[in-house]
Amino acid sequence: MPLAGFLGMQYDFQWSVLWTGGHGEWLIQGIWTTIQLSVLGWILAGLLGILAGALRTVPFAPLRALAVFYVEFFRNVPLLVWLFFWYFGVPQMLPRAAQDWLNNHGPEFWSAVVGLSVYHGARMSEVIRAGIQSIPKTLLEASVATGLSVAQAYRLIILPIALRLIVPPATNESLNLLKNSSLALTIGVAELTFMSRQIETYTAKAFEALTAGTLIYLAMCVGISAIMGQVERHFRIPGLIVRAGRAEH
Amino acid sequence: MRRVLSVVAVAGIILGLAATSWAAEGTLEKIGRTGVFTVGTRTASPPFGYINKQNEWVGFSVDLARLVHKGIEKKLGKAIKFELKESTPATRIPLLSSGAVDLIAGTMTDTRPRRDSVDFSLTFFVTGAQFLVKEGSPIRGIQDITGKRVASQQGSTNERALRERGVQAQLVVFPDQAAAFTALVQGRVDTYTNDGIQLWGLKYKAPNPNEWKVVGDFYTYEPYGMAMRKNDSDFRAVVNNALMEAIEDGEYFKIYEKWFGPKSDTPYPLTDSSKSFLMMQVVPK
Repeated sequence: MPLAGFLGMQYDFQWSVLWTGGHGEWLIQGIWTTIQLSVLGWILAGLLGILAGALRTVPFAPLRALAVFYVEFFRNVPLLVWLFFWYFGVPQMLPRAAQDWLNNHGPEFWSAVVGLSVYHGARMSEVIRAGIQSIPKTLLEASVATGLSVAQAYRLIILPIALRLIVPPATNESLNLLKNSSLALTIGVAELTFMSRQIETYTAKAFEALTAGTLIYLAMCVGISAIMGQVERHFRIPGLIVRAGRAEH
Repeated sequence: MRRVLSVVAVAGIILGLAATSWAAEGTLEKIGRTGVFTVGTRTASPPFGYINKQNEWVGFSVDLARLVHKGIEKKLGKAIKFELKESTPATRIPLLSSGAVDLIAGTMTDTRPRRDSVDFSLTFFVTGAQFLVKEGSPIRGIQDITGKRVASQQGSTNERALRERGVQAQLVVFPDQAAAFTALVQGRVDTYTNDGIQLWGLKYKAPNPNEWKVVGDFYTYEPYGMAMRKNDSDFRAVVNNALMEAIEDGEYFKIYEKWFGPKSDTPYPLTDSSKSFLMMQVVPK
């Protein structure tokens, strides 16, 4: 390649390694596994996050303590350590029959899903808590005054507003989850980063293989950000500081 | 626009300068200039390269690399620092190409596709792929692994060989030997495949060696060589001369005895054919 020669590089670019020899299928399989990991992780993390975030703010101390314990325990340990814990640690404590069943049903994938959801659930809960706490207390008092229980007030009034307020940081956390799914390769999950490295070990074309991985992650994340930008615009609450420098009327 | 162009121009000049110095240098010049000879080796592959109980980084390949180091010092006529860096099957070729290490001395099999990316020294050890199983396992070799869960390391020849043979086993691929062996210990997988001698090393280093057995005929031929950057005949000559001298004057066999002799942790007698093969690689002075 002329440019490489001009820059004095001694590297022979061969972009065809990305689709010949079955490598294209590997990348597609990797993308699909990453999507599966991320979507399942995201749903579970979202549920755990909403639950823990809401529990942090309720006027009932034992539930608050439980939520604090969950968040502090799980977000303060690196995700990589958690993945090893869920894959190598937790199954050891199960009865032998459960372990055997687990071993035949994709333990690597499910350990990764559980590890990702629990860790990101803890992080999401902080984001959701911030959203809830930015809502004036008067709104909760008013809801309760109309006859709703605290749980109903949260479910019908507080959470819908909180979730709209936190779309930007929630998007950030969701993108983190997608990128952190790559750590699953350390416990044997064949996701996208693993597949990029697989191509690289089979062909020794590190630059092409890792560029493919980079660009695919970039495309996925930019795509998600764009969609979430639309979601944000669609669900914004009028009257708040949404955009600077543009009059609404 | 002008600012962008000037930034691009400066970047181009810097890259150009860097590239011209970079393209010209061979490994011996680099070692002479920096004063350091860096070798990539394994940290969990006994007895080739591993951290022992005294927390020292030792091994058969490490000792052979030290012989190469002496050869380099003799050739350059000055003292050179000897440094070790960790390399795994997945990272060793990138480490070499990027210049982070000068030589890979571990458990790397010399194969024709790999010779497209790196150059190899003489073969310094011969083995083949087998399986490590718990005592009492029904697996006796490659014929028994259909439908079983088999652990392997990413980037190894064994993983590739199983894939290419179309074996209908569930391959679980880990980034390194430590994770794969832990998965086997915990029963997460039914067997772990790797080069036979490395499996013997794991067996003898395990808390209870009698719990493990290495089974199966060699399903691949694995000649170990030391890898270095391509098109560097001077450096390759130094490496090969060091190995040839060691085989000729017996130093190699002393090191072999230390790591694979009857009193070592992994007894593995040198077969007559392997011994002849090694000695016939030594070309006349």
